[in-house]
Amino acid sequence: MKKDRVVVTGLGIISPIGTGTEAFWNAACKGTNGVAPIKAFDTSGFRTNVGAEVKDFSPEAFLSKEQISSMGRSSQFACAAVSMAVNDAGLDLKKLDPFRTGVSMGTTMGEPQVLEQGIGMLYGGAGSADAIPADLPGKYPCGVISANVARSVGARGPVIMIPTACAAGNYAIGYAFDLIATGAADLVFAGGSDPISKIAFTGFNRLLATAKERCRPFDKNRDGMCVGEGAGMLALESLTHATARGANIYAEVLGYGLGCDAFKMTIPDPSGSGGILALERALANAGIAPERVDYVNAHGTGTEENDKTETLIVKSVFGARAKSIPVSSIKSMIGHTMGAASAIEAAACALIISRGVILPTINYGEPDPECDIDCVPNAARKADVRVAVSNAYAFGGNNSSLVLGKFGG
Amino acid sequence: MDKKVLITHACSISCLGAGPDATASSLSAPPKTSTVKDFEFHSLPRERRCFGISDFDPEAILGKKGLRTKDRATKLLLSSIELGCKGLFEQPPEARRPALCIGTAFGSVSSIGDFLSDAIVNGPHNVNPQAFANTVINSPASNANIRYGIKTLSSTISTTFNAGLDALAYAAMFLRRGYEQTVVAGGLEEISYYACAGLERAGVLSSSGTLLPFGKDGGGTVVGEGCAVFCCETEESARSRGAAPIAEIAGIASCFDPARGPAGFNPAGEGARHAMKQACADAGIPLSEIGFVAASASGVAAADAMEANALAELLPNVPVVAYKAKTGECIGASPCLSLSCALADMKRNRLSGTGAAYPLCRDINLVTDTRQGFRVGYVLVNSFSCDGFCGSIVLRNV
Repeated sequence: MKKDRVVVTGLGIISPIGTGTEAFWNAACKGTNGVAPIKAFDTSGFRTNVGAEVKDFSPEAFLSKEQISSMGRSSQFACAAVSMAVNDAGLDLKKLDPFRTGVSMGTTMGEPQVLEQGIGMLYGGAGSADAIPADLPGKYPCGVISANVARSVGARGPVIMIPTACAAGNYAIGYAFDLIATGAADLVFAGGSDPISKIAFTGFNRLLATAKERCRPFDKNRDGMCVGEGAGMLALESLTHATARGANIYAEVLGYGLGCDAFKMTIPDPSGSGGILALERALANAGIAPERVDYVNAHGTGTEENDKTETLIVKSVFGARAKSIPVSSIKSMIGHTMGAASAIEAAACALIISRGVILPTINYGEPDPECDIDCVPNAARKADVRVAVSNAYAFGGNNSSLVLGKFGG
Repeated sequence: MDKKVLITHACSISCLGAGPDATASSLSAPPKTSTVKDFEFHSLPRERRCFGISDFDPEAILGKKGLRTKDRATKLLLSSIELGCKGLFEQPPEARRPALCIGTAFGSVSSIGDFLSDAIVNGPHNVNPQAFANTVINSPASNANIRYGIKTLSSTISTTFNAGLDALAYAAMFLRRGYEQTVVAGGLEEISYYACAGLERAGVLSSSGTLLPFGKDGGGTVVGEGCAVFCCETEESARSRGAAPIAEIAGIASCFDPARGPAGFNPAGEGARHAMKQACADAGIPLSEIGFVAASASGVAAADAMEANALAELLPNVPVVAYKAKTGECIGASPCLSLSCALADMKRNRLSGTGAAYPLCRDINLVTDTRQGFRVGYVLVNSFSCDGFCGSIVLRNV
């Protein structure tokens, strides 16, 4: 089987603290809180009224009127983010072999706003599906997000959507890694996208999983996650392809691993079994010993169960070193952007590796003895990160870890 | 394909029946349709014929325990696994149990839409929090993880009508990479108000309620539902546990066609032709080795014309079997249900006909009357989606 190394050459980020890589990075380095009262829908009566919405996104800056009207918000995010990744990577789409260019996406909810709009019409006077705009239902299936991205970049190779909930971005990047490493593609645009939705907001509130005011991962007084939205896209290339065109390389994708809890749909296995398996498999896939890991980008949702379990996972795999490895959660700043989360976090890891600054866990106040790790509290930190791990866990017990490394030639 | 991917178990649930052998025995029977209109929260504008599984009894297959909060899609998947490969998941240790990869276009869309409808009708503060767990698209596969103790890979693929085929491609990647030795992979779709209403608005449903693949008049499609799962494993894995292969996935190709035409299909069929050629190239065989084609055709004029043109160019005179005449358009499950039917025919040296002769959109060798004694070495299974996803699989008879 042909083997090639896989490198990150372009990034596109749409986040609650900024649209565009530099806007995101500058805000994240300052520890900006992207959580605020939700404007997209009525939140009265819920245990919280806050979420992490994208505030500065103008689809017109990236898409034509026809494209905008033919897509849901998730597709708009994804297509805008891939446009950023293309520009960042310095790619000339016309020079790519379309049959060796692919797309690998993840999402949690897909296009929930499309479904919300349709159902809202049924109860709002339309009465029957006959009165719903004919083009609305076709925007809903989540696979359409990847199709829209593929169409926007002219990809004709493998195009896939992997909706494994909040770990979906890592799954998508992992599959892209496999496609390139096996020689099935030269270039794959990989990432995740999710818009804020009433369904997710209502559901997480009914599960009492939402934070009342802000997201405080690993803090003793943490009280939940903040529903968010966004997109992250990475241009992943074979090293051969990237080198041939003289591309800038942010980082190398070294490997990834998956594992399942097989425990409960909405809470993690308290033993961390699936997360441990995912992390161990990722390191083995990357050929990296645990001692070489310099940084962990945590799933770190800010829920009682996740942060406690994730601490256990980190301790189990890294042993005595666990307390000295920086483990930060950028969800403290951008909230939980669902299927986009691990894609944005992978992009953040690529930036952390290339720029030598670890992003912080903000809103951190009181240490929790059950989360006794170095969560890089409240302020970014300079560090030479040669190997970074990014964890992502999901509803249904889908666990994943991604390993990125400094590209050394 | 540089590492063999063997199919050692297959099981499906559809209107043709439930269980490993149900498909084979029902394929020669006339199409069995029912009607659908009313769902829990909504009703379709008009009654439609469908290929629903009217006698589906998950409690009889799975027992009562733990089913109360599960939706129909999840029950279809669990039942398929229970009937077809439950024993594989009972093997200790956990790490050696098969992984799981399921393709679905809409996943648990009934649960998602009904959760929202419930919130509108009864108030968001009154919805059942347990119902929220079913609103993620990976809910059916994750419920299977929990029931069968799957601790390794579990993934869900959603590439609209191609989802089942892409799930097999994903599983094949994991076997080829050596990540897993055995993966249960397949396709799943339930009949839901939301999918039916969407297809109704897209104008692709057959007003007569009949589905005539490659029909000259392209009368439209008829919705179906079902699940087909396959135990895919490496040669080493099958040998080590003494499992006899049913077939080999000799080649698989998945690509995208960005051009859009009527009903979303590129009339030029570039993606479709590329997928067929690439699947054969992956299998290391010329197109001339293909014994018969399991078509994607579903009665939608633009789609069927595109596929017919591609077949006439690449595989002239090769028999074409259109299983959707018997299963309906099962969306994300369709490629795997077609594969299941093709396996059944291939193992019985048979070609199942559509059961009726009618004018075709193009002169192709569509099988209308069932033919016996037709032994083949390779079968090509097609799946082409209105959203641009194109895929083909080459099955080798072993």
